[in-house]
Amino acid sequence: MKIQKANAGILTNFEVLDFLRTRGAKVDPMGCLGAVAASECKVYEYLLKTPACNQTRESIYEFVKRSAGFMLAEADKLNVINWRPSSAADAYAMIEECGKRFSRDYRGEACDEDKRVQEFLDMVKEVLPPPPPKAEAEAMQE
Amino acid sequence: MPPHLLSRPLPDAIKTELERLFLDKVIANLGLCVSVYDIRSIEGGSIHPGEGCSTYKVSFRLLMFKPFNGEVLVGRIIGYDDKGLQVSLDFFSDISIPGHLMQFGTVRGPDGRWMLKTEDGDELYLDLDDEIRFLVSSTKYPPIPIDQKEDDPPFAPMQIVGSIKGDGLGLLAWWAADEEEGRRRQSKSNSIVLL
Repeated sequence: MKIQKANAGILTNFEVLDFLRTRGAKVDPMGCLGAVAASECKVYEYLLKTPACNQTRESIYEFVKRSAGFMLAEADKLNVINWRPSSAADAYAMIEECGKRFSRDYRGEACDEDKRVQEFLDMVKEVLPPPPPKAEAEAMQE
Repeated sequence: MPPHLLSRPLPDAIKTELERLFLDKVIANLGLCVSVYDIRSIEGGSIHPGEGCSTYKVSFRLLMFKPFNGEVLVGRIIGYDDKGLQVSLDFFSDISIPGHLMQFGTVRGPDGRWMLKTEDGDELYLDLDDEIRFLVSSTKYPPIPIDQKEDDPPFAPMQIVGSIKGDGLGLLAWWAADEEEGRRRQSKSNSIVLL
């Protein structure tokens, strides 16, 4: 076997979920025996518990467009899409060098990083759908 | 392509064979194969002398689980020992968080569980089945051992080392409480602005 390309591209959790869904994966392990293997079913069930479960392709495109002004790396955007940060602590976990990254705005001028982080979180909250209530208690308070 | 699959349509049969070979298996430095993404081309179909199966040259793509260093993942704690924690994503369980990559002040409590002592004096335990958010620090692919002793742990071809040292990392429960406080503080300041 020859490896033509070790990394042909990165997929978000949503894309993997969508792919497994179109293959026929369902929550019920017995129902999807023919179409998908047991290991794929486990991956599907894991992904359903993440915020990817109710995302749409459009919301992800919208997020990528709107995050252009924040100068994030691909890895940071992937973390944010996969886990939808809702607080400053989440954002600091998901974006590398968050403080430094947000200390300059899209024009390159220095600005207050806390305000910038909050702008970013508001944009995320607006564009990406919140995870379903049973997964996170604070979504119910929203 | 073994003869017993020859009656099926060719792409299906090839997909089954690829799944048998790769699904749920680790390829060194490439990660864990989750799924066969697609088949791009199939050539060949020759039969070699002395064999009953036909040989094809297939170009295909595999969907791999290979978290990059710095990727955030959420899993469950399934075990702990004196070296650190063991975390599992339901489909992959060889993730360890060593003691030196935990938040400052995390120590092993008297009953063996790891515990973080906060500035307020709270003792936050890291219990089994707690959901934990961690950063992937590195991924190792140890070579297959030639000899294994009786009581060695089962061989793990892909081992992820995680870190919970940093803002927003660690048990989800730790940060959810802070978020509520943060929002309460924010809404208070908003109402002052409106006045």
